[in-house]
Amino acid sequence: MPYTIFYGLTIGAILYFISIGLSLTFGTMRVINFAHTITYTIGVYILITLVIFFKWPFLLGAVLAILAIIPIGYVIERFIIRRLYGESLDYTFIATFAVALIGVDAIKWIWGPRPYPLSDPIAKYLMFWDLSLPIYRVIIVATAILLFFALNIFFKKTIVGKIVVAALEDKDGVRCLGINVDKYFSIVFIIGSALAALGGVLYAPISSIHPYMGLAILLLCFAVVIVGGMGNLKGTFLSAFALGMVMALTARYWPQGAETMVFIVMAIVLIFRPIDI
Amino acid sequence: MDEDKAYSNKLIELPAELRNPPIKEHGAIEVLAIAAFFLLITPLLAVHRVTDFMIFCIFAMSFDLLYGYMGRLSFGQMLYLGTGAYCCGLFIKYISGNPLLAILVGISCAGLLAMLLGFIVVRATGACFALINLAFNHIGFFLVLSPLRKITRGEDGFGVIASKLGFLNFGSRPIMFGFTLLCLLLVYYFLRRLTSSPYGILIRSIKEDETRVRFLGYNTFLYKWLTFVLAGSIAGFAGSLTALNYNYVNPNAMDVHSNVGVVFACLIGGAGHLYGALVGGVVYMVISNFLPIYIYRWEMFLGFSLLIIVFRFRMGVWGYIQRFWEYKLIPRFMKKEAI
Amino acid sequence: MLEIRNLDVAYGYAKVLHDVSIDIEKGQMAFFIGRNGAGKTTLLKTIIGLLKPQKGSIAYQGKEISGLSPEELYRQGLRYVAQEKKVFGNLTVQENIEIAAFASGAPMDISIDRLTSIYPKIKNFLKTKAGQLSGGQRQILLVGRALVGDPKLLLIDEPTQGLAAIVIEEIVNILTGLKDRVSAVIVEQNLAMVNLLADRIYILKEGKVAREIINKSEISDTKELEEYL
Repeated sequence: MPYTIFYGLTIGAILYFISIGLSLTFGTMRVINFAHTITYTIGVYILITLVIFFKWPFLLGAVLAILAIIPIGYVIERFIIRRLYGESLDYTFIATFAVALIGVDAIKWIWGPRPYPLSDPIAKYLMFWDLSLPIYRVIIVATAILLFFALNIFFKKTIVGKIVVAALEDKDGVRCLGINVDKYFSIVFIIGSALAALGGVLYAPISSIHPYMGLAILLLCFAVVIVGGMGNLKGTFLSAFALGMVMALTARYWPQGAETMVFIVMAIVLIFRPIDI
Repeated sequence: MDEDKAYSNKLIELPAELRNPPIKEHGAIEVLAIAAFFLLITPLLAVHRVTDFMIFCIFAMSFDLLYGYMGRLSFGQMLYLGTGAYCCGLFIKYISGNPLLAILVGISCAGLLAMLLGFIVVRATGACFALINLAFNHIGFFLVLSPLRKITRGEDGFGVIASKLGFLNFGSRPIMFGFTLLCLLLVYYFLRRLTSSPYGILIRSIKEDETRVRFLGYNTFLYKWLTFVLAGSIAGFAGSLTALNYNYVNPNAMDVHSNVGVVFACLIGGAGHLYGALVGGVVYMVISNFLPIYIYRWEMFLGFSLLIIVFRFRMGVWGYIQRFWEYKLIPRFMKKEAI
Repeated sequence: MLEIRNLDVAYGYAKVLHDVSIDIEKGQMAFFIGRNGAGKTTLLKTIIGLLKPQKGSIAYQGKEISGLSPEELYRQGLRYVAQEKKVFGNLTVQENIEIAAFASGAPMDISIDRLTSIYPKIKNFLKTKAGQLSGGQRQILLVGRALVGDPKLLLIDEPTQGLAAIVIEEIVNILTGLKDRVSAVIVEQNLAMVNLLADRIYILKEGKVAREIINKSEISDTKELEEYL
């Protein structure tokens, strides 16, 4: 049982990394970004290229992969997301889905459709009471908690963070104070994409790597963001871990039902607390 | 592009009679035209392919009812197609080989499910609506794959052989073709009458501004629910036909990813005009069936086309034809000041 | 200072302002009055760049500004306070000013002083979340935000709407104090205030300028203005 809880925390941490970007993009730009996990996938593929083909150490590959996402995120924001401001949700869905489609196909083209295996870079264990926990997973959970505090500081103490918080509430008000809000929303988008890549890179050694991995996890992230509240960082943190636990607990008794259970939870939440978008 | 936005956001709605090119409202000529179209393209492609196309068009029309007329994008309409397919197939397999009865069972089950889920789902709007339908679709897919494996045979699926009913032998391709064409025309005629009726105008008004319709005293929830049930039933109809056409049902009938196709079809054809669903349905089927042969990277092509449609070609083929018609018919309107 | 000529503004195909022409001189406090729906808010929003006119021109200090964005107009000294009295509720009063000071580059202490000079009591609320302020306090905060930096023209939409009489008095005092320091265009329904403070009055009716009052002596008392509401 304790292992189940621990694995739940690990999944929760990964979901958290990826969902932050989704939640922020929705909260700031009112755009539901179906293409959000494409940076997740691309980050992973860059990582495996560096680690498997060029034989770079994992940490270096991971850092570089995340940095490589920054220009890619910028391109997506500049040419697609920005044009979707103020659009009806149907069109943002479809446009961002199209980007995801293109991205997946591009990946299949460059790297092929076969899955790649990647192993745990730190194949050691930590002794915690009488549990032996893989250090790698401990690092994932710890990073998530660190990130939570870092983001809190960012949004509460830095001026950029405060501008974003203000703009989340009253975008026109911030504009009328002479601040080009779109520039800051772009920064938020790029940060979100980089964080998704971080999630991907961390998750890669313990999951399967294939071109559709982004789409698979995207739906789960939608569930996290809906349960936690769009644009609500604390909510996203809590719901990511809660749903991670749901998955781990369900997987213990009923392995195939893990993802479905998440959707059932999402459906229940939506029924009792419908979001008005 | 801004012009497009202003046009689709316009505050003044033209009365229904002026919006469509003046084809006879009772639709007999339209029906004949559609029938002629499908008969004509059959020699170009194979009979069974056109049957596939037509079944997809029925599904597209069910989607268009929800999206084009009621303004709700659903990413889970395949659930109802799948339900129709499974119920029809299971009926034939376990109860009776009567195909017409089986189709009715398929439609009813899909409609019933839509009734149950719709009661909850229809309260939602926008992304909420799309995602909650997606969730249910996902759950349904999982259900037929795993827990109900004993009945549905899980991933393998099961065969569906309908018994002959007089001269109706669904095993024969031409018969299947003819029957499907009939069903398509039936569904089209039904929807055309429905959407031209006061009910149709009410649904479209709900799409524009639901609050105002409620202030007029209408119970919008009931109308939305009804539309959802209708859309689900028609999707179930398409599903039943799928089961009979392929003589086979498996979880692909409920595949979540297939929702993309119908969304694309309605977009490219033009949402909100039933013709659009037909045009888009055929176009999408042609693309997905023939494009992979010529262009290996057809999914990327699909992606780029979607982007172009969203950013430049918003109203779809039929929408542009319609706007052109309005420009000709009432040129003064565009220059006149409102009110 | 502000010259508007033949302005047409529409939402989609519904035209809201028809052929509006307005003149405001530097240092003046002008008021727009009229019934609800006459187009007053639309006019302010168009001046500040939140809406784009279909036709006509808006010139500020001799230069054409129609079509420019609110961010650019901020740098030229235009300040807008919206009707909805929205503050940055999740930030403190001090942080609200911080955001205002960001783009203007004004130092924080001077900016805070501007706010406390018009309403000294706000010193006690500097660390409170702006969302917890009362309606009147929010309005004052919004005016204080608008005064940060180097404001030249204030555009204020219904400052006394929804406020209690005693708070309205405070607002009137504040505006009186601003009278010769900045130019202002104010939308109002409170005719007593208009009568007291206005250098120039424009009466809007159904999207058109029904009457332009350049000299206060033109009208004997508020009864004449009431006809138009």
